[in-house]
Amino acid sequence: MLKLNNIEVVYLNVVKVLHGISMGVEDCSVVALLGANGAGKTTTLKAISGLLRTEEGEVTDGSIEWDGERIDRKTAVEIGKLGIVQALEGRRVFGHLNTEENLLVGAYNRRDHYAVSEDMSMAYNYFPRLKQLRRNIAGYLSGGEQQMLVIGRAMMAAPRLMMLDEPSLGLAPMMVEEIYDIIKRFNTEKETSVLLVEQNVRVALNIAHYGYVMENGRVVLDGTADFLRNNEDVKEFYMGLSAVGAKKSYRSVKHYKRRKRWL
Amino acid sequence: MAEFLQYVITGLAVGMVYALIALGFALVWKSSSVANLALGQLVLISSWFTYGMLVQASLPYWLGLPLTILFALLLGWIIERFALRPLVAQPILSLITVTLGVAYFLEGVVSFIWPMSVAALPRIFPVEPVHIGPAVVSQEYIWAAVISLALFGLLSLFFRYHRMGVAMRATADDQLAVQACAIPVTSVFSTSWMFACVVAAIGGVLISCIGGITFGLVETGLKSFSVVILGGLNSFVGCIVAGPIIGLCENLGGGYLTPLIGPGIKDIIPFIIIIIVMFIKPYGLFGETRIERI
Repeated sequence: MLKLNNIEVVYLNVVKVLHGISMGVEDCSVVALLGANGAGKTTTLKAISGLLRTEEGEVTDGSIEWDGERIDRKTAVEIGKLGIVQALEGRRVFGHLNTEENLLVGAYNRRDHYAVSEDMSMAYNYFPRLKQLRRNIAGYLSGGEQQMLVIGRAMMAAPRLMMLDEPSLGLAPMMVEEIYDIIKRFNTEKETSVLLVEQNVRVALNIAHYGYVMENGRVVLDGTADFLRNNEDVKEFYMGLSAVGAKKSYRSVKHYKRRKRWL
Repeated sequence: MAEFLQYVITGLAVGMVYALIALGFALVWKSSSVANLALGQLVLISSWFTYGMLVQASLPYWLGLPLTILFALLLGWIIERFALRPLVAQPILSLITVTLGVAYFLEGVVSFIWPMSVAALPRIFPVEPVHIGPAVVSQEYIWAAVISLALFGLLSLFFRYHRMGVAMRATADDQLAVQACAIPVTSVFSTSWMFACVVAAIGGVLISCIGGITFGLVETGLKSFSVVILGGLNSFVGCIVAGPIIGLCENLGGGYLTPLIGPGIKDIIPFIIIIIVMFIKPYGLFGETRIERI
């Protein structure tokens, strides 16, 4: 339902960040966008959600299609109303609002008040922890709770596509697992597509159906989660495993050969 | 004793109006971190507009006063749309300077349309004074306090429960995240300006009912600055606590010090308070301890 056709993104009219990205997200699927820092993953999400414009970025070439309709010239508000929601990287909760108000802000554009209050209990159902904290000021929640709140806020928009930017950032492994279980449940139960940006390749590929590997603003590898999990390069560069599956000793690798580049 | 009580009551009442006007400042500051330096001029122009409606066009109250509110809404919308929005994403200092430009523009408009320097609004409220204990207070003060408090309550409810109110508070916290929730920040900004203008207009009318329309109304705006600074730049509670404090200091100090020091001390007291507060509590009584640029 979402298609990116060879898009290029330029910041401030000079800095070219994406050099022709093509990808797609099917209905009810989970797609992972993987890659190192500075590969252009977040920029890709912002190009889709229309948030690029506030950062003086622009889609200069190619097109983004949603159900066959071009959305790369639309504003963030229009795109949000189509059912695409992005949860920003780094647990950006509204610090002075309480948990419940944070969730309500996520449902700002919805007029169906009855369904909103139903979704509120749905969000609390997914994140029982948040229900206990509903009157607490969001700024004082723990990191994991804030990440839950950011995902819950995205859920409250009743999206058809939820884009999550590094939901595992800075969280304990247990918490990462818990959050990923919930994302997976939301995907299957609500039939919502999820586009994930993640550094933690292992957990991302656990729940994803399909994945794209990005580097320097290009997609260098894509395939089903199984294919990527078993791909030698992905294993070596993103999971830190050598061919036999043992931990790799980086001491034995000459530093200039350590990192394989495709281009 | 009667004298003291009188100073206290009138001080509290005027303080409430300052608090109301200050709320308009805090609102714009909170949602867009722009310091609205045109506050006093907004008070001035809407008071003169009321004068134009009620006296010059001799409209009845039920028509003239709502027209003033409408004028304030329109003014707020125009200021945000044409003066501030073109500067979105520019350094915050430019935006603050633009509000200064707006201030002088409004001042020019006022002296162009209403060249006389003093005027009086008709007596909107009943004329008979009220006796509270030994003190005699004219009804304007009581009404000013009641109306300010009521509006303050209404606005607090709006921020607490209304969708737009919650969105405005969210915008104050994180503008980009608000956009990621598909909330139109531009309409959040223009709503905050419209609110600021309306409370400035209502505050202006209440003050001019008490003291008449003079150029001193600009100073009322400045006194509201001292309320905001005393209360903390981004705190609504701060406004409602600091307003009466400033009003009290001004009236008591003015009342008792004028014979000793001379006239004019009344208008200096709020600013002396600002300076002292800046020394002791730079973030104000209820302000968030966070470094902001101004």
